[in-house]
Amino acid sequence: MSMTLQTTYTLAAMVATFVISSWKSRSPEISMVITAVVGALVAGFGFPVRLLVEGTLTYIDLALQFITASLFMNFYAEIGATNALVRNLVARFYDNKWLMLFLLAFVMLIPGAITGAGSVSILVVGGLVATVLEFMGFPPARRAAFVFIMAILSAAAPPINLWAMLMAAGANMPYVGFNTILLLPVLAVAIFSVFYFGRGTKPKPKAEVLAGLPSAARGMTWWRLALPFALLLLLILLSQYAAHSIPVIGLPLTFLLCAVLVMLLDPERRGLKRWYDVTIQTMESVFPLVATLVSVGVLVSMMALTGVRGLIAINFVTLPIVWIYVTALLFCPIAQGSLSYGSAAILGVPIIFRFNSVGINVTVVTAALALMFPLGDCVPPSRIVARLSIEKVGFKGSYMEFIRAIAVPWCVLAIVALTMLIFPRVFVPLTM
Amino acid sequence: MNGSNIRKLIMLLAFLVIAGFAAAEFLDLRHYKETVVVSEAFTEKRMLSEWLPNLKNTWGDTPVYFYDSGKPGATVLIYGGAHPYEPAGSLAVYVIMENLKLNNGRVILVPRADMSASTQGIVGHAYPQYLHIPTSWGQKVYRIGDRETAPLDQWPDPFTYVHYPSGQNLAYQDLRNFNRTFPGRPNGTLTERMSYAFMELIRNEKVDLTIDFHEASLMYPVVDTYVAHQRAEDLAFMAAMLCQAEMPMRSEVSPKNLRGLTHREVGDYSETLCVLVETAEPFIDRVVGRVTEQLMIDGKDEFLQRAAEKGLLYTDYDINNAQTIDTRVGRLLTSAIELINVFNMMYPDRAIDLWFPRYTDIITNGMGYYLHNPDEAVPSRVFLN
Amino acid sequence: MVFLQEVIRHIYFAMTAFFGLLLLRGLFKRDTRKSLIYDIVYAYTIIPFLLRALHIR
Repeated sequence: MSMTLQTTYTLAAMVATFVISSWKSRSPEISMVITAVVGALVAGFGFPVRLLVEGTLTYIDLALQFITASLFMNFYAEIGATNALVRNLVARFYDNKWLMLFLLAFVMLIPGAITGAGSVSILVVGGLVATVLEFMGFPPARRAAFVFIMAILSAAAPPINLWAMLMAAGANMPYVGFNTILLLPVLAVAIFSVFYFGRGTKPKPKAEVLAGLPSAARGMTWWRLALPFALLLLLILLSQYAAHSIPVIGLPLTFLLCAVLVMLLDPERRGLKRWYDVTIQTMESVFPLVATLVSVGVLVSMMALTGVRGLIAINFVTLPIVWIYVTALLFCPIAQGSLSYGSAAILGVPIIFRFNSVGINVTVVTAALALMFPLGDCVPPSRIVARLSIEKVGFKGSYMEFIRAIAVPWCVLAIVALTMLIFPRVFVPLTM
Repeated sequence: MNGSNIRKLIMLLAFLVIAGFAAAEFLDLRHYKETVVVSEAFTEKRMLSEWLPNLKNTWGDTPVYFYDSGKPGATVLIYGGAHPYEPAGSLAVYVIMENLKLNNGRVILVPRADMSASTQGIVGHAYPQYLHIPTSWGQKVYRIGDRETAPLDQWPDPFTYVHYPSGQNLAYQDLRNFNRTFPGRPNGTLTERMSYAFMELIRNEKVDLTIDFHEASLMYPVVDTYVAHQRAEDLAFMAAMLCQAEMPMRSEVSPKNLRGLTHREVGDYSETLCVLVETAEPFIDRVVGRVTEQLMIDGKDEFLQRAAEKGLLYTDYDINNAQTIDTRVGRLLTSAIELINVFNMMYPDRAIDLWFPRYTDIITNGMGYYLHNPDEAVPSRVFLN
Repeated sequence: MVFLQEVIRHIYFAMTAFFGLLLLRGLFKRDTRKSLIYDIVYAYTIIPFLLRALHIR
C-alpha cells in the first residue's frame, strides 16, 4: 500500500475517532488522546509508549504560563482588587459607551501584544473586561466573542507575534519590519470589532451598576490596585529592553512574582491557608486548559509519527498558488486548531519559500499568514483560546452560538489577511 | 479507602507505569555514550570548560579532541552536533576522528558541539532516539537529539529572545539554539556560555579555518550549500567549484542582518575563516510522511517526491536515489576537504596536509567501513562521548 | 548572574513539582468534573509535571 493511501486511511480513522469520542466522552481532552492512540495503531506503530509520553511534554511551558497567570489574577481578585478596579473603571468611564469599549479593547490588546500569547490577555484581564461588558448590556455570547476576538488580535499584534517569529526562524529571516504591517490590520479589525460588538447594546444605568457592585474592600488604595500590574509591566519591559542586565525570568515566574506581591499588598493580611484554597480553586478552573495542552501535545506527536501532518502539509503546499489563495483560510486555521503553534513551522515556512521563489515579498506573506493562523484558535480539536474565552466569561450556551457571535469580525480579519496574501505589493511600504 | 479512590489509585498507577517505561527510555538516551576509536594522529582530549570554567560540571561542557602533528601548519576546527537532530554532522566528525591522517598542522574536532541538546529528543515531532549504523563487526549506535539545548539544562525560555550584543529579536526558543547565540556571553544562559566558550577556543587556539557541519530540509533554500562569512567568501566559492567533481554544491555569503549564527558572528568576533555546511536531510522536512529511523537512514519519502515533482525543493530529490545517511555524511566530508584544499592554495605558508575519507569513499565502501570496533582497539584510543 | 539563573531554573522545577502535586490532589479530591473520564484525564495530565520535576524529561 502506498504511503499516501495508508496515511489517508489513518487520517480518516483519526477524524472518525475524534468525532465519536468527543460525542461519547464529552471530554475534548481525552478525545484527542484516544485519537492519537488510534492513529498510531491504525498506522501500524502499535502503542508507542515513549512517543505518547513525550508528546505530553510538548506544551508544558505554556501550561505553566496558564496556571501562573490564573493564579496571579485569582489572587488579585481575592483581595478585592478586581472589584475595586471595575468599580473605578465604571465610575470614571462608564458615561461614554464607546470610550469605555475602546478602553476595554485596549487593555485586552496589551498583554497579548507584548507576550505574544492571546491566552495571557484572557487570563489577566479577560474576566474584568467580561464583567464590564455585562454591565454594558452585552449578551453572554457577545461577551465571549469580544474577549476572543481581542485575544487573537492581541496575539497577532506587534511587537511579539509568535507565528511570524516562528516562521522567520524557520525561513532564516530576521524578525524585522513586522511592526507596522501587523499593527495596522490589527488596529483596523479591533476598531471595526468594537463598533460591531457595541452596536445596539444598552448599558444598564450607572447608578444601578455601582449599587450592584460589591463595595470596595477596606484599605484598597489605588496603589494597591496598580502595583501588581506595574510589576508585571516592569518585568516584561525589562525582559525586552534590558534583557542582558537581568537573568531570564520567563513568564510563569513573572506571574508568580506578581501573585506574591498581591499577597503582600493584601489589606486584610489573609493567612496562608486562604491562599492555598485559592490556589486549589485556580488549579481546578484551569485544569481543562492544562489537560488540553497536554493532550494536544500527544496528538501533535502522533500526527507527525503517522505522517498525517505531512499529508496535510504536502497537499496544501503543492497546490497551485491560486488555489493556495482560495484554500489558505481553510488550511491555516485547521492547522492551527490541530497543531497549535506548530502550524507556523509546518505550513507557514513552506508557503514562504513557495512565494519567495516567485519573487513575492516574504515579509508581507509572513505577516498575512501570521494574521491567519490565530483565526484557527477557535477550530477543533484544540481551540484553546476559544475555550479560554468561554470559560473566563462563563458563557454557558452552545459552541455554535459562540461561533455565530464571532463570525463577522473573524471574517473581516480573514479578508484583511487574505487581501495581504493576494496583493502583497500594495502592502510592501508597510514593511519599511 | 472507598471504591472510587481505589479506582483512581489504579488509574494513577497504570499511568505511572506507562510514564515509567518512557522515563527509562529518556534516561537511557540522556546517559548513553557514543564510542569513538580515534586515529593514530590523535594527541589530546580536552574539555570545552577549559575555555570557560563556569561550564564545568554542566551539560554544556563537551569533549574537544586535538590532533596535533607538532609540525607547523594551519589549525582547522571542525565541529558537528550544533543541532543534534541533524545527525550527519556529528557522524561526519566521528568518521574524521577515526580516520584522520595528519602530516603537519593541527586539527581540532568536536563531534557534539551542543552536548545537552544531544541527550534529549525533540518534543512534538516523534523522532527516534538512536541511529544504528551497520559495520562489518556489528552496529554502532548514535544519539539523535533535539535542535535546542535541553530544557532540563536551560529553563525557562524568555517570551522573546533578545540576541546579544545586537539586540535583535528572535523566536523565544532560539535562546537555546547553539547556532543563534554566537558570539555568546561568559555570564549568560547555558547556550550563550557554550557559544562564548567556542569563541574563546577559536581565539585562543588561533584557529585559521572553522567548519560547522549541519543538515537542512530540502524545502529550505540554503541546502547543499556553503554559507560563508564574507572573509571566507572566495574560499567557499572555489571549494564549491572543486566539489562539483563529486557532487553538486553551492556557496553563499552570510547575510549581515541575521544575527547569532556562526557564519556571521564567529567571523565578526574572531580572526578565523568561518564556513557552515548544509547537506540535504529529507527527514527534517515537515511535509514528510511516516517518521521512522528508516527514513533517517534511507531518506525515501513519497510526499517529498511529490514536492520535488512540483518544483518545491531547492536540491535534487529522487525517491529511488535519495539522500541516505551515507551520502549526507560523505557530502559533509568532501565539503570539508575541498575547503581545506582551497585554504592550502590561498595560504600556502600555512598549508595543512591531511587525509580522511571523502564522498566517493563513503559511497563506495559505506560509512560503517570507516568506523572501528572498540573491542579490538587499543583501550587508550577508545573514548566515550 | 550565572548563579541567579541557576536559582531560577531550580524554582521552575520546584514550581512544576508543586503544580504536579496539586493535580494529584485534584485526582482524588475535587468539586467539578467528577466523572470517571476526568479521573483518567487527571491521571495522565500529571505525567509531564512528574517527569519534568524529577529532571527526567
